[in-house]
Amino acid sequence: MTPLFSLLFDTLDARLKLRGPSRKVANKVFPHNWSFLLGEVALFSLVVLVATGIFLTMFYRPSTEATVYNGSYELYQGAQLPAAFESILRLSHDVPGGLLFRRIHRGASHLFIAASVLHMLRILLTGAFRRPREVNYHLGIGLITFAFVAGFTGYSLPYDSLAGTGIRIAYSELLSLPLIGDRVAFWIFGGDFPTGDVIPRFFVFHVLVVPGLIIAMVSLHLALVARQRHTQFPVRGVDGHKFILGKPLWPAQFAESATLVLWMAGLLTAAAVFIPWSDVALLGPYVPGEVGNNAQPDWFMFWIDGALRIFPPLEFSVFGLLTVSGPFVAGILLPGFVFTALAAYPFAERRRYGLRGDWHVLTNPLEIPLRAGFMLGIWSFVLLLSAAATSDILSRLTGVSIENVLWFFRITCVLLPPLLGLAINRYAKRRLARHSRTVARSEQEAQVAAASTEVAAGSKPKQPAQAPGSAP
Amino acid sequence: MKQDPKAELRVISRTEPPASKLNDSIVVLTAGGAVLCALVFAVALPLGGPLPLYGGALSLGLLLFGVAIRRYFTDRFPDIEAIELREIPDPDHADEPLSDVEALGPRRSFLKRALIASGALFGIGIAAPPIASLGPAPGGTLLRTAWRPGVRLVTNEGLPVKPDDLAMGGIASIWPQDAIGQERSSVLLLRLTTPPVAPTNLDWVVDNVVAYSKVCTHAGCPVALYREQDDALFCPCHQSTFDPSRGAVPTFGPAARALPQLPLGLDDQGYLVALDDFQAQVGPAFD
Repeated sequence: MTPLFSLLFDTLDARLKLRGPSRKVANKVFPHNWSFLLGEVALFSLVVLVATGIFLTMFYRPSTEATVYNGSYELYQGAQLPAAFESILRLSHDVPGGLLFRRIHRGASHLFIAASVLHMLRILLTGAFRRPREVNYHLGIGLITFAFVAGFTGYSLPYDSLAGTGIRIAYSELLSLPLIGDRVAFWIFGGDFPTGDVIPRFFVFHVLVVPGLIIAMVSLHLALVARQRHTQFPVRGVDGHKFILGKPLWPAQFAESATLVLWMAGLLTAAAVFIPWSDVALLGPYVPGEVGNNAQPDWFMFWIDGALRIFPPLEFSVFGLLTVSGPFVAGILLPGFVFTALAAYPFAERRRYGLRGDWHVLTNPLEIPLRAGFMLGIWSFVLLLSAAATSDILSRLTGVSIENVLWFFRITCVLLPPLLGLAINRYAKRRLARHSRTVARSEQEAQVAAASTEVAAGSKPKQPAQAPGSAP
Repeated sequence: MKQDPKAELRVISRTEPPASKLNDSIVVLTAGGAVLCALVFAVALPLGGPLPLYGGALSLGLLLFGVAIRRYFTDRFPDIEAIELREIPDPDHADEPLSDVEALGPRRSFLKRALIASGALFGIGIAAPPIASLGPAPGGTLLRTAWRPGVRLVTNEGLPVKPDDLAMGGIASIWPQDAIGQERSSVLLLRLTTPPVAPTNLDWVVDNVVAYSKVCTHAGCPVALYREQDDALFCPCHQSTFDPSRGAVPTFGPAARALPQLPLGLDDQGYLVALDDFQAQVGPAFD
């Protein structure tokens, strides 16, 4: 400790009694695995997003009022543009560093959502969602939902032609809610699309409401991890149910996290130098009634867009009271079904196998046939739907007619996920039967089974419950 | 000083890195390099230098500083593996009271319920009106557009249109006069090469010129593309396809309803006008 730091710490310690708690925090043990970094990557992307976002907020104008652009970008000099689009042009081409920070912000948003989704995938595959961590798992599903909302509103704010089209589709999705659609849509949009209220309201959602919720939920998410301790992969000879094996927060985990945040920021900046992924100037401002080719949303909305594309024509009225339409079923019910299935899965697994007690040691999904089938089924479904969102591009690249491309996805999206899910489910069951094992009902049972498999496989027998250093 | 035995780190393995002069040099060089990069960034950005220069400097600086921190910690600290006891929840405390103060007298569960119910009603009562204030009541807004009998069809620039302004097979994006940019009123005007057939309303066709709502009946995108190979109207968002020579009925894709046809006529100066508003619902389904 440097003298200055000691002085500061001692001053605070004398008033706040920090020594004990800080030692406890510094000694907190972190198990190590590369996949545990995914959540950290998401967290640090959020840090980069907030830092760059504050800078962008200084220049962005949340309005669609016609404004004359007088900056240095030649294509639009003297043109009347929506104020939002005009302010983005000024920020990008007339503010030093503006374009760089916009691109870093955009890149970090992709990374934030991608890392969050992969983190969820890791939690699901390894069974980190099991009791006692169901609450934190559901908090994570809520976080991903808000990450999508943040991503969508951010994509909308420049009010370029793609953004306007995306907002129009979101408006139609709200309208499609049976019985209450028009009211809800008018509440959120302040009237019939496109009102002057859309962009100011999306701005408030994007910079205040949603990030506020995300930061609050992330804090709770981390507090719960600290309170419940980490899960970990099985380590031979260590009773993972009772002990956590890993490296202390200080210095190992601190060094790793500090390196990770710096390298991530460095790579995001490098990506921003090479990839022009937030340059909306060439897309042009949104003009009602106009849309170009390649009308794709951001990648994380592909699955919903794909569902809208391949869902067959459907629109019927129930007693003249309410209307059920394709956009409602494909754009709201179906994503709702996927999220509900993900949220409900921990309970399904516990019920199916009559699981008991708490679980802290991660498992191979092939050890749990239901999980293997569910995961492959639902994720292949989401990936196929996402691929369907590129139907127009695929058709142009391959020369296959758009009708045939869409029929291909209609058939595969219905048939393939259940087939794949069932296939891996049967494979996992046979795999267990081959080793004459069943799904363990408690963690202790699982550890005994794992130990006996090791004996059967000819490795040295070890006492699973003996942990070094456990004696006082 | 008193030591809390629970706070102590239970070390199970400890490896000390060998002292390395090389590593010290790496730390100094990378940290120094990072500062140099920050300097380039600090000079190039305000002077309006090229983005690759100051962006590259920022990127390299962050990466180098990451290396410096990593090398410093791996060389200056022992590599420690430790073990920590999980705190298993204690079921013995399940019947411990949540607090030590209880309500007086005999239990009055009715009072408690009345309080909770009125609290919920009170909450809804004060939360609902502000939500209703967020937007106007839809009323008949979504059933009408800006088209009225006698309203001229105009281009994006506001110019009125005669049938002959369109070449055979031509297509134009049209607005009601005085409502340019009112999204739900946008119209596609087509001059078909062959006369349209039912279910097109032939009374609303002038010289093979026919007008359809441009708002897709699926999700509201502009049906902006005209595919020449099969004379189809095509929505780039979700690939709904409509046949303009047969009342713009959907022929493929997710749209379930035809694009409404605008009743079309001519005024006394020969310009195209609407005879009335659309007679079918414009745009996607609602409520």
